[in-house]
Amino acid sequence: MYVYRIVLFLVFGGYLLSPLLMSGWGSPGAAWYRPFLIWGVLIALTLWLERKRKLDERR
Amino acid sequence: MSLTGLMVLGIGYMLVLFLCALAVERGWLPSRLTRHPAIYTLALGVYASAWAIHGSLEQAGRSGYGYLAYYLGAAGAFLLAPVLLVPIQRMARTYQLASLADLFAFRFRSRWVGTLITLVSLLAVLPLLALQVQTMGNAIQLLSGGGSQEWLALGFSGLIALFAILFGARHTHLNARHDSLLAAIAFESVVKLGAMLALGAFALYGIFDGPGDLQAWLDGPGHLEQAETHPLAPAQWRTLLMLFFAAAFLMPHMFHITFAEPLNRRTLLRAGWVLPLFLLLMALPVPLILWGAQRLGIDASATGTAYLAFGLSSSWWVGALAFIAGLAAASGTMIIISLALSGMILNHLVLVAHPPIAQPDLYRWLRWLRRGLIAAVIVGGWLFYRTVGVHHDLSTLAMASFVGMAQCLPGMLALLYWPGANRKGMVTGLVVGVSIWLAGLWPPLLGAPSGVVLLPPGLEVLADEPDWYLITLVSLAANVLSFILVSLATRTSAGERAAAEACSVDAVVRPMRLPLVAGNGMEIKQHLARALGEDVAEREVERALAALKMSPLDGRPYALRRLRDRIQANLSGLMGPSVAQDIVDRFLPYRQDGPGATEDIHFVESRLEAYRSRLTGLARELDGLRRYHRRTLTRLPVGLCAFGEDGELLMWNDALAELSGIPGESVIGAHRDTLPPPWNELLGRILAEPHSQLYKQPVALARGQRFLSLHKAALHGDHGDPGGNVILVEDHSEMKWLEDELVHAARLASIGQLAAGVAHEIGNPITGISSLAQNLRYDTDDPALLETADQIQQLTDRVSRIVGSLVGFAHGGRHVTGAAFEAVSMAEVTDEALHLIHLARSGEDIQYVNHCPPAPRVDGDAQRLQQVMINLLGNARDASEPGGRVIVDAEPQGESLLVTVTDEGHGIDERVRDHLFEPFTTTKPAGEGTGLGLPLVYSIIAEHGGQIDIESPPAGRANGTRIKLWLPLNREDAESTDEPDPDR
Repeated sequence: MYVYRIVLFLVFGGYLLSPLLMSGWGSPGAAWYRPFLIWGVLIALTLWLERKRKLDERR
Repeated sequence: MSLTGLMVLGIGYMLVLFLCALAVERGWLPSRLTRHPAIYTLALGVYASAWAIHGSLEQAGRSGYGYLAYYLGAAGAFLLAPVLLVPIQRMARTYQLASLADLFAFRFRSRWVGTLITLVSLLAVLPLLALQVQTMGNAIQLLSGGGSQEWLALGFSGLIALFAILFGARHTHLNARHDSLLAAIAFESVVKLGAMLALGAFALYGIFDGPGDLQAWLDGPGHLEQAETHPLAPAQWRTLLMLFFAAAFLMPHMFHITFAEPLNRRTLLRAGWVLPLFLLLMALPVPLILWGAQRLGIDASATGTAYLAFGLSSSWWVGALAFIAGLAAASGTMIIISLALSGMILNHLVLVAHPPIAQPDLYRWLRWLRRGLIAAVIVGGWLFYRTVGVHHDLSTLAMASFVGMAQCLPGMLALLYWPGANRKGMVTGLVVGVSIWLAGLWPPLLGAPSGVVLLPPGLEVLADEPDWYLITLVSLAANVLSFILVSLATRTSAGERAAAEACSVDAVVRPMRLPLVAGNGMEIKQHLARALGEDVAEREVERALAALKMSPLDGRPYALRRLRDRIQANLSGLMGPSVAQDIVDRFLPYRQDGPGATEDIHFVESRLEAYRSRLTGLARELDGLRRYHRRTLTRLPVGLCAFGEDGELLMWNDALAELSGIPGESVIGAHRDTLPPPWNELLGRILAEPHSQLYKQPVALARGQRFLSLHKAALHGDHGDPGGNVILVEDHSEMKWLEDELVHAARLASIGQLAAGVAHEIGNPITGISSLAQNLRYDTDDPALLETADQIQQLTDRVSRIVGSLVGFAHGGRHVTGAAFEAVSMAEVTDEALHLIHLARSGEDIQYVNHCPPAPRVDGDAQRLQQVMINLLGNARDASEPGGRVIVDAEPQGESLLVTVTDEGHGIDERVRDHLFEPFTTTKPAGEGTGLGLPLVYSIIAEHGGQIDIESPPAGRANGTRIKLWLPLNREDAESTDEPDPDR
């Protein structure tokens, strides 16, 4: 269940900080795929937490 | 592309969709595939509507990465699946709630709340439906350059409606499994994702020379074009994120797929990362297509940014890919929206206005009504597009829709996390929010120059912000504020409080225990038939019984309450929670004449067991403690049961189940009087007793007569709260039997002592009589007197034998050490015993066979063993018929010699067999047996450290008796037996 708190923290933290994503559009030097990369990392993190949750529930 | 080619492409795609659904429906595809969790997860891709294909391009052209809000908002909602979606799914599953309106009507205990939510959903969804139709119409117009886009769009809408009717409205229950429909929607998700990825790849490698070239273009010439976009302000971005977050589970089509279709909890949790990944892949090609179009210099003002993908190449397949992607997205969304909305309209508008009481052929009536409503919803969407949508861009339509639907967000969050919220507060907040939304965003939609936006004092600085942003802020703020204030200021009804507890996250329902008027499943059918008709009542009750694995004759109050709940939930899936509750309350009422309602502890426990994995922190620790105490009671090695105040059985532990042979599951929840005999009478007696104990009550159970002691204690709380009684049931049968044995043994011991004394006392006179008889023989030659003297001597011999046996038995209990023992051959002992037996006049025609081998020998006293064999052979002789055989045999068995004496006589009565070694037990006629022979044998064998057993009849024979003696082998003989034979 502690995993759920991490997820809540991630989602609300992401919600507050997400406007930072917007600045990359068309900026010289900013990689165009950066938001997708961050998003991909977030998905990987969720996948990892999902596995943790399964273990937590099994206990 | 020609119009005909486009029509062939579009209709061909729809045909493939029909085929896909048909293949699943007919079972042409293995169910392992069609019921795979991936199908459900992909079906959630219905979220990516035509807005994801065309609207996102429009949004990206205006505000750059702002278009990502649509995807990230939904991804956020699914990341929160464990704390947000799973509780909603639990409620929807438990109470068979198929739509947002069902959920709100259930929680706020009002049919009018359901009606209100249905109306809001209908108004909010119309612009979104119009958006789907518009993208189809515009795509056809742009690609073919001819034809009437509106009527062609109507044609495609008709095909979509037909599909929804054929594959979505086949079942009457809204929560039924729609495998074919889900598979088709999953297929559409794959098609639109594949098409978008292909378009993105074409832009990246066909227009640019890969990622490096794209980056170089963005850093160079493309930079100026990107500078023309107007990134969203952080507050606007967050508002947009929140709107799409709400849309991900409030929009009727998303609610339907996520909660009404039977996705299991694990699949929903897995969707927490799979759907965000799907949306990432859907979002990735959007900027690539936009930048590709900008690189090519396509004039967006001619086609509209939303449709730039059609101009990426002159090749027909690029346009075809974009068309198919849009069609797949629009059709999937329209199908599910029409299904979801038709159910809501049916349950919360039509059935509320026209309750289906005693409707003939209810299922058919509901099915056709639903089909008509599906068609009406899609035609409504087309009409809205035709009259309103054509005048607006995609963003205006989408924002009108999403802001409207977000008005249900405060209610939904309160439903999950605020048990104090009440109906008046929710309705007030919703009406205020929806009014602001209608006044602010709908006038421009309907052609007015601008909407009415009333900014609160101090917020005038926001006047220049976009309408959607202002209306969202003001409407949601007013909605939340009025909701909270009215909820706090008004009273919450008891029904609402109970429903709030059922809906709250981490809450466990605490249902009350009341008996039903109906006494079993059959009576429930009869009661329900008055509302639903015979056939429907029969089917609904059978369905609920099958789901609960219950018998229709089960009359346990607990089971009947579960059956009532199940029927209500099933009817809720059929015609909505409001109508279902009305029917169940009216036709399956609770009895009002019983004792006051108390909590249904057993139900609460079963719910706690089911929710165990969701408990955390202190709740989990307490649950651990509860389980420990529960286990202690369940596994207590003494029978235990507990009754509520109303006489309903709440607990029946393992020991009692074993003692009674009645499993707990079959009786828990039953009333005391309906327990199988003798338990109903026995437990009723202890409960009625003023004393709290009943000792050693004789009870006839399946395993024979038992003696049970019962103790009871009242369970009422410290403040006199009713709590029922707990009863301990102890099986004291063994102790009772031991006591009886002890009394019997004491009686025998005194008789034995008396007999020994008598024997001793009469021994001397008998010897005297025998001597006198002997003298008489010498004193006379009279044959008559001689015969008399002879008879006197015989009789005194008999008396002496009896006296000798009595004295022998009286001394039999003494311990004889093995020091005096010697090696004895049982063959010799048996021969000598046979010799003595042959001296007797009776039994001359019995054939005696001695098979005993001379070795090995046993350790023992030859005289006493001979006494044993005389007794056993004498008994065998007496039991045998004339001409019968008595066989004596022996064989070593481990460290003993097994000696058997087998006869072919009438055998021993089963009732006597267990008491044969007790003194004075005999099967012989009175006067012929003393009943001391076998007890003497037993005591001699015990002295020798051996054992004795009786088989009657012997194994494999129809009659006869076999006495088996185990005597310890002589040590020397035993060693020689163990040594291997060198000759072998």
